[in-house]
Amino acid sequence: MSIPADYLVYPKRRPGPDHDRHGHRYLATAPAVAWPGGKRLLIWITIHCEHFPMDMPKEPFVPLGGMDRFYPSVWDYSTRDYGNRVGIFRLMRVLDRHGLRATVAMNSKVAERYPYLLEEILKRDWEIAANGVDMGRLHHGFLSREEERAQVDEAFTTLRQLSGRPVIGWHSPAHSQSSFTPELVAGAGARYIADWINDDMPYRFDTGKGALMQLPLSYDLSDRKILFLHNQSIDDYASQIAAAFDCLDAEAREMGGRILSLSLSPWVIGQPSRIAALDRLLELFLSRDGVAGATGAAICAAWESHDEQVGMEGE
Amino acid sequence: MLSEPFSYDYAPYHHRPRIVWPNGARIAFWVAPNIEFYEYAPPESPARSVWYRPEPDIINYSMRDYGNRVGFHRMADVMARHGVRGSVSLNVAVCDHFPQIIERCCELDWELFSHGIYNTRYLYNMSEDQQREVIRDSRETIKRHSGQDLDGWLSPAISNGETTQDVLAEEGIKYTLDLFHDDQPMPVKVRSGKRLVSVPYMMEVNDVPVLSFKHISPSAYLDIAKAHFDQLYQEGAQSGTVMCVPLHPYLIGQPHRIAVLDEILGYITGHDGVWLATGREIAAWFEQNHYDAFVEWMKPFNRASTEGPPS
Repeated sequence: MSIPADYLVYPKRRPGPDHDRHGHRYLATAPAVAWPGGKRLLIWITIHCEHFPMDMPKEPFVPLGGMDRFYPSVWDYSTRDYGNRVGIFRLMRVLDRHGLRATVAMNSKVAERYPYLLEEILKRDWEIAANGVDMGRLHHGFLSREEERAQVDEAFTTLRQLSGRPVIGWHSPAHSQSSFTPELVAGAGARYIADWINDDMPYRFDTGKGALMQLPLSYDLSDRKILFLHNQSIDDYASQIAAAFDCLDAEAREMGGRILSLSLSPWVIGQPSRIAALDRLLELFLSRDGVAGATGAAICAAWESHDEQVGMEGE
Repeated sequence: MLSEPFSYDYAPYHHRPRIVWPNGARIAFWVAPNIEFYEYAPPESPARSVWYRPEPDIINYSMRDYGNRVGFHRMADVMARHGVRGSVSLNVAVCDHFPQIIERCCELDWELFSHGIYNTRYLYNMSEDQQREVIRDSRETIKRHSGQDLDGWLSPAISNGETTQDVLAEEGIKYTLDLFHDDQPMPVKVRSGKRLVSVPYMMEVNDVPVLSFKHISPSAYLDIAKAHFDQLYQEGAQSGTVMCVPLHPYLIGQPHRIAVLDEILGYITGHDGVWLATGREIAAWFEQNHYDAFVEWMKPFNRASTEGPPS
């Protein structure tokens, strides 16, 4: 099969990215941000509260943690559901001990199914961010705009009604977006989105119908990737989190505020053999000056005001 | 289809002509950062799917974009601190998209060689003329943005075809990284009889296969790199060896991994008999001092083999 001549034509070969979602920024030369309260490094803990339906579709792809085995895979289903029953309460005890508040990236189905869990989250004044309806309803390029709009709206509406909170953040299940996702999320009244993994810091994201802040929710450093996908040991996980902290803390001393994003899944890090490692890491981090926890909403607000001060230099 | 690449002859790692590096170094050490651009909406390839999820595959796209926004500078800072120059495996469209990256490479006296136009435009199924056009575009783009000549080549996404090495030699490329058959430079067999050197490009210590494909932890990567170096350094006492560390700033430039690069470079540059070289320098030295001796020495091992692909 031969290659057509236009395979050697490159219409987007121009300064900047090859799409119009955002400009190009080199973090090394971006204006320094000063976090509120003179903090240097903010630890943003995001906890994924997810529902993996046992009959979830295999197409267009099975997200990490999805049903891998033959139907009915009670093994996969109940292993994930463990996170919402057991793992999350271990995480609550650890965060409570350190006085930390998390952002919960929540499938709206979890709020519907487990009102007691929602109540415990609200009691702690944790932030709730929308994370789609459930893990069987991914956002992807094969959906029509209307099909996807229904999913986005259901997630925000349900979470706002059940929590009584504004819900201004969005994370697409499995970091999977269609071309429509950002504009639908902006249209639903969100202020930030946390799907792209191309930066350590927030940046302004053009949805085509209004701007959002794109927040740097980590993926390479997530427990799901390191412990579940890569099958590494908890010691390897802990040493990578500690290395990231050291690197970002050193940069923050020279280049302005930084964020350490901990992306946590209760069914992964909430296992008995793992939770203590998280406890020890947080103990270590919070013993340093200039380090504090922050929610996604707080980081978004701080970045919005930073952005107003530095203008487009920050892009 | 061919049953073998027909790009090289057999050469046992035993009683080879002795390679003597500049200043009697035991090992030529070089670092090859891959500075890449994966397109948001690439054209289809008849050979493979480009992305893994329905497009836009934003997790995979943005993961790679991290290198050009954040990882590159972090990686370059560490390399500069150790006095290690890079030999950049460059998707040359980066010159157009992110010229500041190229400026920094030039300031650091790094070599630029071609890794195609984009990492999402494969050589698979291309005619030879189309491949020539990609090589010429690469040569002109690199010259325009850096003043450098194009000497080296690594096929974009390792998508080289049956005659790519022949075309490279005919277009004046001096060294190729597409062959993973040896730990020392080797003559490459090409139909024109022109000289083309294969320089080792080591997948065993390449951050993509190690960290992404094989899921190896950064601390184990450090152990692999040190052991890899120790063995080649020891063997280099008899005849010069090469160690290449291929990198990708979107992986090694992450906050949880960058310290590993610092440790690898600190360890290796802490040895006396190390020639901190570029790909171009290794290829040129081998071509000028050892190429002929290797060609002559290899002849007896290859009497039974065919001269080249069946016509």
